Amino acid sequence: MSRTEPLGNFTAEDAPHYDDVVQCMRCGFCLPTCPTYALTGRERSSPRGRVALARAVAEKKLEFTPAIKEEAFFCLDCRACTTACPSGVRAGEVMEMCRSQAHAFYPLGKMGKAFREFILQKMVPSPKMMETSMLPTRLYQRLGIQWLVRHLKVLKLGPEWMNKAEGMLPELEKPLRPQLPDIVAARGEKRGRVGFFLGCVMTLMYPNVSRNTVRVLTHQGFDVVTPKDTKCCGAPHLSEGDRETARQLALFNLDLFLAQDVDYIVTDCAGCGAALKEYEELLAERAEHEKLSRFREKIRDISEFLVEVGLRTEGLQEVRARVTYHEPCHLCHAQGISAQPRQLIRQIPGVELREMQEASWCCGSAATWGLKFSQDSQKVLDRKLDNVKASGADILITANPGCHLQLAWGVRQAGMPQDVLHLMELLGRALPPD
Amino acid sequence: MISSTAIAHLKEKLGDANVLHEKEDLLTLGYDSTPGVHHLPEVVVYPTTTEEVIAAMEIAEREGLPLTPRGSGTGLSGGSVPVKGGMVLCLTRMNRILEIDEENLTATAEAGVITLDLFNAVAAKGLFYPPDPGSQKISTLGGNVAENAGGLRGLKYGVTRDYVMALKGVLADRSLIATGGKSVKDVAGYGFKDLLVGSEGTLGIVTEITVKLIPPPQDKRTILAYFNDVRTAGEAVSRIIAAKIIPSTMEIMDRAVINCVEDYVKIGLPRQMAALLLIEVDGHPAPVAEEAAGVQKILEQVKAAEIHVARDAEHAASLAAARRTALSALARMSPTTLLEDATVPRSRLAETFSEIERLTEKYRLKVGTFGHAGDGNLHPTVLCDERDHEEMERAHAFYNELYEQVLAWGGTVSGEHGIGLAKKEYLARQIGPGGVQVMKRIKQVFDPQGILNPGKIFDEGDPCTQVHVEEGFRVSH
Repeated sequence: MSRTEPLGNFTAEDAPHYDDVVQCMRCGFCLPTCPTYALTGRERSSPRGRVALARAVAEKKLEFTPAIKEEAFFCLDCRACTTACPSGVRAGEVMEMCRSQAHAFYPLGKMGKAFREFILQKMVPSPKMMETSMLPTRLYQRLGIQWLVRHLKVLKLGPEWMNKAEGMLPELEKPLRPQLPDIVAARGEKRGRVGFFLGCVMTLMYPNVSRNTVRVLTHQGFDVVTPKDTKCCGAPHLSEGDRETARQLALFNLDLFLAQDVDYIVTDCAGCGAALKEYEELLAERAEHEKLSRFREKIRDISEFLVEVGLRTEGLQEVRARVTYHEPCHLCHAQGISAQPRQLIRQIPGVELREMQEASWCCGSAATWGLKFSQDSQKVLDRKLDNVKASGADILITANPGCHLQLAWGVRQAGMPQDVLHLMELLGRALPPD
Repeated sequence: MISSTAIAHLKEKLGDANVLHEKEDLLTLGYDSTPGVHHLPEVVVYPTTTEEVIAAMEIAEREGLPLTPRGSGTGLSGGSVPVKGGMVLCLTRMNRILEIDEENLTATAEAGVITLDLFNAVAAKGLFYPPDPGSQKISTLGGNVAENAGGLRGLKYGVTRDYVMALKGVLADRSLIATGGKSVKDVAGYGFKDLLVGSEGTLGIVTEITVKLIPPPQDKRTILAYFNDVRTAGEAVSRIIAAKIIPSTMEIMDRAVINCVEDYVKIGLPRQMAALLLIEVDGHPAPVAEEAAGVQKILEQVKAAEIHVARDAEHAASLAAARRTALSALARMSPTTLLEDATVPRSRLAETFSEIERLTEKYRLKVGTFGHAGDGNLHPTVLCDERDHEEMERAHAFYNELYEQVLAWGGTVSGEHGIGLAKKEYLARQIGPGGVQVMKRIKQVFDPQGILNPGKIFDEGDPCTQVHVEEGFRVSH
């Protein structure tokens, strides 16, 4: 979707393709699926409206105005509209482009720029720096929230984000990355060898989830190779409109994983999975096509992978629980993986799956959206929690750390009894003891 | 331009959040789903009560602004496009279902209620509201009334007009109108209600609608038939009707449409087939079984390539849902999708398909055809690129010639989308200068100043003295 010639009133670098915006025939099928349209009832906050704005910029009918910047960042990038769109318009990706454009049109002041560059270009790309900066309550500040608050003035921020950010942090253990052996051997009859893409948020905040993912994989008969040099997948950079750094990270990870002797590359983070699957497009002009398609063919989300190879259920222990499943946007909408997690849940002996209403409606986390728009986020979250409540489940399952943070926080705030678990933690409970 | 005092007044009466006038908002509220038409209003208001509608109309009059009512903007003839600028009255925030009357089998709702929401609400009480336009998930009841929307079930159950029992609204002079009621029979005087249905907002602003409900069918069977050529499918339709079987749905898709829909829904539709018919019979179990058998027999007689019966309700629903995406899915094929709404007497269906094929070839176009075959309502859709002027000319010539034939057969230029902006010329051809004159006179009586949705259905002398705010504006930050 990137281009290098100027398109209408966009700048040359990373502008949307004209074909991608003209594709929208304005049928409005996206409207009932858009959480921000549900919040505002305002057409410009809908996928159809946002694409129309981008089209107007492309056709020189509108400058790239602050309102477009605002809409680009107000979009949750949940991709529910992509799933709903019969015409194949990808409004979320068009808005990602517009985020990148926003930085070109509205450059930050010196300090802001330096801070943003430090966070996105120095700190996040370096696993070591991320780990050493892990004074838990300061993590969020260091990840740049304070900077966002101070410099994205267009976002009407209240002071509540700070409490929320701190309140959301789970009880932190040591990061998983340094603890995890480079190779963990398969157990039982060996079925293959997978590369494990350990995401930043997973190693830093949910080490126990990814530990379970590795246990599940080895129990299923796979050697698990975890390259220690793995860098951030680039999703935060795409989300913040820094496509260039995202490309550099992608190029690094591409070579790193292609150099491993593995049959598949698996991740347990829906956000990483979605970004990794987009490398092909992101790097279209920067890497050989053959390499990109070889990489793309190997990428799997963990639930997609387990269903594809077939879950070995012998030896699984009973887990008596009523669970409900919240679909992460970056799994169901961005990757189209919706049936697989449910199938795995149903295969765990003793587990009863209780479908909630609107399981694929966003939880309101959406990277840093939940902090930037904390009041709107609360409304989206409340809608989700009502549906969780009505399901009558004891355990709320998800498969993405962003959702996990938001939902666990929401459940706690609301005084609800549900445990929030990653699907791999639930599956981990069914594994025989190591 | 609208004055800042007027904006302030509107905000005072309707609340800040219900008045939009920033250019980005205007830009996104000047289109519907019709290709090629897009005009900017000067202000958009979201009344939440009839009083607010009147207040907004009063301010519009002071400012000399024409009024264009709008729902969700899913129309297919440009009915809600503010072609003369002015004020857009967006009724989506008047979205309460006011009553479901189980004794009289009626439902009363505000104009902004989403069609499917009403369907679901009455279904929860064991009742059935049949009109189901393709965009029912997002279209509003008010929009359906304005355009007299049809849908997949039109064949057996009719269109929106057949279910409207009463309307309330505001006329151009801001007086209230209430017409019709819950009485099943009502022949008192002129049928204003029927005049308002399908008037596209040119005669009044409808704010409240009472619709008739019926008991839902107890049983349903869905049959899917594939064909090696489109004409055979058309023949099957005519023969089913001739056999005195009225299915609730009889939808057709040709190969182009099948492939686009399959690209999106991925439910295993046969990509190599020339056409498919989706047929649903419903009602009491005994006649349903009989009719389903009758349909199958006819399909065998005409030598359909394959005949399948839907496994279960879920499968049937997924097929109907797939059909609903046809138009939008076709948009995958080309930047521009020009859609028409030609409707012929059902006996002419097979010939109409031949004519579409002939004209497609003659004008060297890519055309996908789908539609409600059972009621003769077809949507031949030209897949083109609006930047290619020569191709666009051929597309228009295609429709011109097609409509000539459709009218010669006693058909109509619009089965369910309305006239709006897109089909004014064709309407004039269908009803003649005399017909247009009568319509203008009716309009004159309801709206002597020409302030309600000007520029729609027929061309006016130019009762509008307002500045024409067109697309193509420039703004800077």
